[in-house]
Amino acid sequence: MKLHEYQGKEILRQFGVNVQDGKVAYTPDEVRTIAREYGQPVVVKAQVHVGGRGKAGGVKFSPTIDKAHENAEKILGMDIKGLTVNKVLVTKAVDIDAGVEYYVGMIVDRNVQSFTLMASAEGGVEIEEVAAATPEKIIRHRVDPVTGLRPYEAREVAIKAGFKGNLNKIADMMVKMSKAALERDAVLVEINPLFIEADGTPLALDTKFEIDDNAMYRHKDLLSWRETEAEHPLEIEAAKYGFAYVKLDDGNVGVLGNGAGIVMTSLDVVNRAGAKPANFLDIGGGAKAEIVYNAVKLVSKDSDVKAIFINIFGGITRADEVAKGVIQALNEGILTKPVRMRIAGTAETEAKALLAEVNSPLIQMYPDMFQAAEAAAQDANNAGENK
Amino acid sequence: MSILVNKDTHVIVVGMTGREGANHTKAMREFGTQVVAGVTPGKGGQTHEGLPIYNSVAEAVSNHQVDASIIFVPPAGAADAVLESAHAGVPLVILITEGVPTVDMMKAVQEVKALDHASREEGGKGVRLIGGNCPGLISSGECKIGIMPNSIYAEKGRIGLISRSGTLTYEAGKLLQNAGLGTSTTVGIGGDPVIGTTFADVLPLFEADPDTDAIVVIGEIGGADEEAAAEYIKNNMKKPVVAFISGRSAPAGKRMGHAGAIIMGNVGTPESKLAAFKDANVPVADTMPEIIELVKQVLNK
Repeated sequence: MKLHEYQGKEILRQFGVNVQDGKVAYTPDEVRTIAREYGQPVVVKAQVHVGGRGKAGGVKFSPTIDKAHENAEKILGMDIKGLTVNKVLVTKAVDIDAGVEYYVGMIVDRNVQSFTLMASAEGGVEIEEVAAATPEKIIRHRVDPVTGLRPYEAREVAIKAGFKGNLNKIADMMVKMSKAALERDAVLVEINPLFIEADGTPLALDTKFEIDDNAMYRHKDLLSWRETEAEHPLEIEAAKYGFAYVKLDDGNVGVLGNGAGIVMTSLDVVNRAGAKPANFLDIGGGAKAEIVYNAVKLVSKDSDVKAIFINIFGGITRADEVAKGVIQALNEGILTKPVRMRIAGTAETEAKALLAEVNSPLIQMYPDMFQAAEAAAQDANNAGENK
Repeated sequence: MSILVNKDTHVIVVGMTGREGANHTKAMREFGTQVVAGVTPGKGGQTHEGLPIYNSVAEAVSNHQVDASIIFVPPAGAADAVLESAHAGVPLVILITEGVPTVDMMKAVQEVKALDHASREEGGKGVRLIGGNCPGLISSGECKIGIMPNSIYAEKGRIGLISRSGTLTYEAGKLLQNAGLGTSTTVGIGGDPVIGTTFADVLPLFEADPDTDAIVVIGEIGGADEEAAAEYIKNNMKKPVVAFISGRSAPAGKRMGHAGAIIMGNVGTPESKLAAFKDANVPVADTMPEIIELVKQVLNK
């Protein structure tokens, strides 16, 4: 679960990190009130779950109260990478020239089977850009998941990164960030920029915080932060069925299968067949008729989908169960797009008999995934041309 | 011969009396696996389909020879179950559970590695964790400690298979079987970001196995396990290896079901993996069936 900047800051504050204070506002008038209360220049920052807010014009320095109001009017309601901004964070502006900007972050790193701490004196820009242009400017350090980052390690990393300022205070902030990452099951936490004030004190100006979905059961206090409006409506519906569903851009073939690997490969096969997958949908193991029915219903709701490719493999999956689910969707009038499927499993003969009984051109079974994908791709591409 | 498990491997099932545990215990025994006992805290002293149930792994180990344990425990208790088996001295621990918090796995994997090291220092067998979020492992015709369909692995073959994905493991196994090649041992290492055993950990075992002629590696986007495997192959392996990479058309930054399959910046891209395998002289199949053609080619060299 991705957190907004203000939520990430709230967590870091709970762990004792010195963060740049701010208040959330939903209207330009609220922004005006906050700016007046602060009585100094402020920054109005869009709160959306995407990177590159600044470049998109979603972060604006506002030297006066009127300017803050004006900027809020611009930012609230704006679209950043497909997401509408409906709240902003108003923070006191700092004099960037009076200090320096660094970067510190922690990320789950499968290569070291733990978190890797990253630190760089090149703060204030996206770390991916630093990594691409000057990777040597990022210091990496494996964090022990049991002990967490210890102060001496933090000091060593800060020294290697070339951080100037109060070394003990900077290290202390890194240790607290590590504690927050481990105790709050972060997948990613970043403090960027990490601002070092003229007196050497570190201050977190901006943060990114993402929590492991598998661990949400022990962070129930954060569940109210989950924002469904930031997700695709079909993704919300899929979550209710317990499906792993990802909506993909510019696709025309709905793809569903049982298992992440097989669905990922199905996407590749659809691409290879000359069409574009409109979604990733893993229905999980034990493909019962009802599950298949729900999956077909879900994918059918996507207006981008012109044909559906079903790819099921399993020694214990019954092909007739899959067929039954698809037929039910057809009988209820939910299924209006061609379904091209490949089901490797038991009871394939029974499945064929059921389909022969229905005898609908909308549902066809194929002996392998390539033929099924090609048929679906052809149907989808033809549907596009006939429009 | 085969790697890691064979017809003499004695197995306990942790979580045997749960729905998944019970179903798969049955299937494993049908395959021929020597399941000797189950563990369900609170149900010690009962029996399940003729097998004794113990309250703890330690109790099971003190009453039976235990070579491996397979864990069907819900996510919140899964890492603890791994450590219970590891501390009880079970040398091979297979975690099937999907959805275990990553931080739990980091801690468990680190502790298992420390135990492994300590055990080997003392001349012991060590401890190996496979998974989580994996289908387990199977030596064809001998022993299954996992959840894969039995029929694909009835006949022994001479191809080793290692995979990050469950269903693709079965798919590849079926293709190898249909082509008359068959598998020696199949290891599903799991799709999570932090797992106990990687490709590079399994490759040396196949290299040393006299009954494996070639190895198929089924990778996917995300992480750098495939790159590490390519590096190992390049420097250490004489046996031919064929690779496949799933999710090559997936967009960056999106999590495709497997938490491990996510491209972050330039790390984990298909291009990086293809380049690494090319550098190691490992042919990469564009489609699953092409795996068979490539395996036949490398065997004929």
